Amino acid sequence: MGKNIYKPIKCEVIENIKESPTINTIVLKPEEEFSFLAGQFASLSVPGVGEAPFTPSSSPFDKEKLEFTVMRVGRVTEKIHQLKKGDIVGVRGPYGKPYPLEKFKGKEVLLVGGGVGLAPIRALFLALVETYKDYKRIVFCCGARTPQDYIYKDKLFNEWQQLCEKIPLSFRITVDKKDENWKYMEGVVTVTLDNLDMDVKNSVCAVCGPPIMMKFTTLKLLEIGFLPENIYLSMERKMYCGVGHCRHCMIGDLFVCKDGPVFTYEELKDKPEIWV
Amino acid sequence: MEKLYIEFKDWQNFLRGKLKEKRIYAPIKSENDIPFYEILNEKNLTDIVYDKARPVEPFKIFLFPFKEKVVPEIENFQEFVVLGVNSCDLKGIEILDKVFKEGEYKDPNYEKRKANILIISLDCKEPYPTCFCSLVGVNPYPSKDFDLNLSKIGNGFIVEIGSEEGLKFLDNDSRFYKANDTQIKILEEERERTIEKVKKINENFKIKEPENLKGMFHKEYWQKIEDIKNCVSCGSCTFNCPTCVCFLLEDISKNEIFKKVKIWDSCQFPGYARMASGATPRPSLFERYANRLLCKYWYMKENFKIFGCTGCGRCINGCIGKIDKRKVIDEVLVEKMKV
Ligand SMILES: Cc1cc2nc3c(=O)[nH]c(=O)nc-3n(C[C@H](O)[C@H](O)[C@H](O)COP(=O)(O)OP(=O)(O)OC[C@H]3O[C@@H](n4cnc5c(N)ncnc54)[C@H](O)[C@@H]3O)c2cc1C
Ligand code: SF4
Ligand code: SF4
Ligand code: FES
Repeated sequence: MGKNIYKPIKCEVIENIKESPTINTIVLKPEEEFSFLAGQFASLSVPGVGEAPFTPSSSPFDKEKLEFTVMRVGRVTEKIHQLKKGDIVGVRGPYGKPYPLEKFKGKEVLLVGGGVGLAPIRALFLALVETYKDYKRIVFCCGARTPQDYIYKDKLFNEWQQLCEKIPLSFRITVDKKDENWKYMEGVVTVTLDNLDMDVKNSVCAVCGPPIMMKFTTLKLLEIGFLPENIYLSMERKMYCGVGHCRHCMIGDLFVCKDGPVFTYEELKDKPEIWV
Repeated sequence: MEKLYIEFKDWQNFLRGKLKEKRIYAPIKSENDIPFYEILNEKNLTDIVYDKARPVEPFKIFLFPFKEKVVPEIENFQEFVVLGVNSCDLKGIEILDKVFKEGEYKDPNYEKRKANILIISLDCKEPYPTCFCSLVGVNPYPSKDFDLNLSKIGNGFIVEIGSEEGLKFLDNDSRFYKANDTQIKILEEERERTIEKVKKINENFKIKEPENLKGMFHKEYWQKIEDIKNCVSCGSCTFNCPTCVCFLLEDISKNEIFKKVKIWDSCQFPGYARMASGATPRPSLFERYANRLLCKYWYMKENFKIFGCTGCGRCINGCIGKIDKRKVIDEVLVEKMKV
């Protein structure tokens, strides 16, 4: 018998960072090595409370620590927000299929993230930056409700933008509603897709955000000429097992946990209930 | 496959002898038409039902109990024997195996549990009005995946040996002897007759190809089916089903010791797939009802290359809303034809 699939790896909480009024990033030190690839997720358990799936938001190349960016929405996420340095949690995984980065090679890559959906996109972004020579360029579009709702503010408005001078990278940043200090775009995230000077037919795009945002982003991407097989959507469903047994996460015959969580629009377009 | 014969009285005495060394479950006569599994003892041994069809409970209860500990995994499993498993339930085990044992990830308990069970299966003799195995390609008699199979013929049983363990169970007992040609001929004729009975029971159901449900997820088709409105989302259809595998995991950790239990869940419950946003992929009764049928005849077929339905009819027997899903399938496929 191999290892018990449900037994988590113990992790110590190193830091619990407040990102926005509802979102924290929790930094963990796993007791044994935990490797993952961008796009994969893990199940995080708070002992005695419960377990929920999250996508690591740290770089897949960082072997020292593991980070999750978590929006407070319910029982488990509430407890995650309350965790303190030194607390113990459990992580099992990684599960699911990573982004097929080999298919991104030599292409322009568009990233679209909205709200807490920036978390999975961040891991992908950091992986792309690490191997930036493989791609023609990276265009990173992000949206949030207000400037306060942005997560990774330090990084997004400083560190990452400085990278633009060194590598072929650009940002398109918007908020639904701006304030007096805001110097980027205003409007829902799809406004960042207007006047894109990309070779859309040969570009790939990764999208993550709330269902409504994913829906309208996908429709817009199709409208401006992206091919269904080049649109990568990060899907969310209720999950328990993470390994294709409990069937909670199904979209038709597809398991989000095992066949996803990232699917191309081509794979999803004839399935039931894709935009929930 | 080697076929033996044993007289009824001899079999009962043989079983009686086995009671001392083994725990045995068998279908026992009940006030209903359909027998329930009970642990066998000196008293109820004479009430074993050999000449009907499947018991009330699906065989999955022995492999995938309602609630079990998965972290830490269970260390010791007791060996036991289950007598009276019918062909449809053996088919159900095929699905459970594919989910819990044959994929990339193995369930922590399933395989060990299964290795400790000896299966004595049984030919069906009197199918119930809800049986429809032959419509989904399952015969009402077992032909594989058992340790021993019994078929009541005349005043005794034909015993087929399906495995080494099955052979060992017989202890070279001289009360079993080689079945003769006449007995085997009767066996074959009776099996044909049972297939005919199942066909007769289902003669009024038009649609013979449930795989045509593929792609039928639009709510519009299902909303038109009056019977579905009687569904009260009780989940009885899923809990009674030998191939429904949905479960949830509950964390019962204490401090830093991780503990988890696995508990049956049902796609018929409104909160089953509800996500953090509060949204759920199937908010209406019709969508949830449809999901169960689509899972059986479309999703599982894609996942495992076999139907997720064995035709055992338990979901019809057990339905509080008295919905006959065969009729529902007929009506939905008629809707499909209209388009
Ligand atoms: C692959 C994947 C990756 C993910 N990645 C991330 C990520 O990186 N960051 C992130 O923040 N999230 C992520 N999520 C989402 C995250 O898993 C959920 O937010 C999390 O499971 C919520 O858990 P919870 O226990 O806090 O919420 P729950 O307590 O389960 O509650 C969630 C919501 O469900 C509803 N609800 C629950 N129980 C009831 C009830 N009894 N009655 C009525 N309503 C009820 C409520 O609306 C509640 O707000 C991801 C999900 C998936 C599938
Ligand atoms: S769906 Fe109904 S008939 Fe089919 S295997 Fe399950 S309980 Fe039996
Ligand atoms: S058994 Fe009948 S009433 Fe209960 S959930 Fe299933 S279909 Fe609905
Ligand atoms: S989460 Fe259990 S099957 Fe996907």
